[in-house]
Amino acid sequence: MNRKVIFMGLGAGLAVGLLAIWVAGQGAAGENTVVRYDRASKYYRIRVVDYPKEDRRCLMFSKSRGVQSSMILGEPDQLDLRYSQSMVAALALHPAPKQVLLVGLGGGSIPRFIQRHFPDLHLDIVEIDPDVVKVCQEFFQFKAAPHTRVIVMDGRMYLKRSSQTYDVILLDAYAADRVPFHLTTLEFVRLVKSRLKAGGLVASNLWEPASNRFYDAELRTYQVTFHQTYLFKCDKSGNFIVFGSLAEQAAKKDEWAKRADALAAGKVFGFNLSNLVHAEYERLTDRRIAEEPLTDDKAPVDTLRHESPKGFEEGPAP
Amino acid sequence: MTTQLGLLATVFLAGGALMSLEMASFRLVEPEFGNGIEVWGSLISVFLGGLAIGAVAGGWLADRRPALWKLGLVLLAGGAITAILPLCSDLVFAFTFPGEGAPLPAEWTGGQITAYQPPDLRWPALAAGAILFGLPAILLGMVTPYATRLFVHQLPHMGSGVGQVYGVSTVGSIVGTLGTAFYLVSWMGTTWLLTGNGLLLASLGIVLAAAHALRRDKPPAA
Repeated sequence: MNRKVIFMGLGAGLAVGLLAIWVAGQGAAGENTVVRYDRASKYYRIRVVDYPKEDRRCLMFSKSRGVQSSMILGEPDQLDLRYSQSMVAALALHPAPKQVLLVGLGGGSIPRFIQRHFPDLHLDIVEIDPDVVKVCQEFFQFKAAPHTRVIVMDGRMYLKRSSQTYDVILLDAYAADRVPFHLTTLEFVRLVKSRLKAGGLVASNLWEPASNRFYDAELRTYQVTFHQTYLFKCDKSGNFIVFGSLAEQAAKKDEWAKRADALAAGKVFGFNLSNLVHAEYERLTDRRIAEEPLTDDKAPVDTLRHESPKGFEEGPAP
Repeated sequence: MTTQLGLLATVFLAGGALMSLEMASFRLVEPEFGNGIEVWGSLISVFLGGLAIGAVAGGWLADRRPALWKLGLVLLAGGAITAILPLCSDLVFAFTFPGEGAPLPAEWTGGQITAYQPPDLRWPALAAGAILFGLPAILLGMVTPYATRLFVHQLPHMGSGVGQVYGVSTVGSIVGTLGTAFYLVSWMGTTWLLTGNGLLLASLGIVLAAAHALRRDKPPAA
């Protein structure tokens, strides 16, 4: 009899607790947002959230771990997130890009930008999750175009299986707040390099709000793979773009900025690419980094993320 | 008493090594197969399947003249196979999931959104997992029922004996899982994780065989 009462009490307590959590969750969602889509896919929990006051629509892969993509509903072709503006600086660094690969579709900001301003550019997009492609079409105005194609596959698998080469490869594959480990290693970065045409370059997005050992190790991995490496810190947004180029000569800041002006000539980007290059340009090639590159065998990305950096040894730049 | 503690230590270490292997298996195949849910599911199934076959086989063997050295032999075999896994993995991947040269659209078609759908990963991942980890999982699955047979001397204490062995083995598995996830992956990398676990199991096997030879009190009559 006693036992029965205890069990019933526990059951009732549990039910009340769950109810309270649910109610709290509903309340916390806030009144300034409208959830357009919230469904689990094979890989993520995909959420599309509108912020009517800001006229923005965002894509998220989890409730709390950052925004994957953001679009201004009135100006969908504008690059709303700072990091995506820094990514397209890659198009200026290359003298004449014709074929571009983007790994990680997300909300499709960069594809919309490229389709709008560079309709002749061939754009391959590799996205692992078919539901992300659907959401991107339905909610983020991503459309088919003569020179755009989407390949639904793991980015590394695609690069290995395809022999297609590119002038510019943009790496933006994220599972919520982290890059999958097999897209961080030396073997992967070498594979990317092997799929670049002569003079080609890669731009890789890293999101690391706090400096840590993973961040250093990843920079080191690019540094040992490419002749020329650069780092853009995207205005303290937590994003960093690493550029690796096959070019023989290093591009100077003014040169890159001048090319950005030429690229933007006669177009309305909605931001000044040349100024951005001026503000963020940093050469990574000669910097001494006290970390080993990551490898398929040893890439403890999740552990390294929680460890403070060993710190850069003597060298230029902060 | 000493034998019983030794048996508990054995199932603890074997349980730990098993889960450590399972964690390492994810890291080993991820560069090739990606980290999709089919891949995780395939590997988990391979390990569970191995444990199931091993449990039946180990139980059967345990009823036929159970001896400590035989358990040692099982561990030695499992450890030896595990230790050489890193050497075979590339070959197995190339066989189960031929990578380069697979059909992809060569020309720019455009116009439609999705140009190419992913290859079916389920059977290649399952096959690669089974070839690489099937045998070690079977051999490690034999350990617990076999050790239980050696551990339990009297029928009236069967329940508590079986419970203790399985409990200790499971705690070992937890330690193996967390130890690998939290520390070992960052200390030694995948290759050494596999080889290290293999060497640990092989040495454990040798220790059991030596213990059998040195022991004065012979195992209980069947």
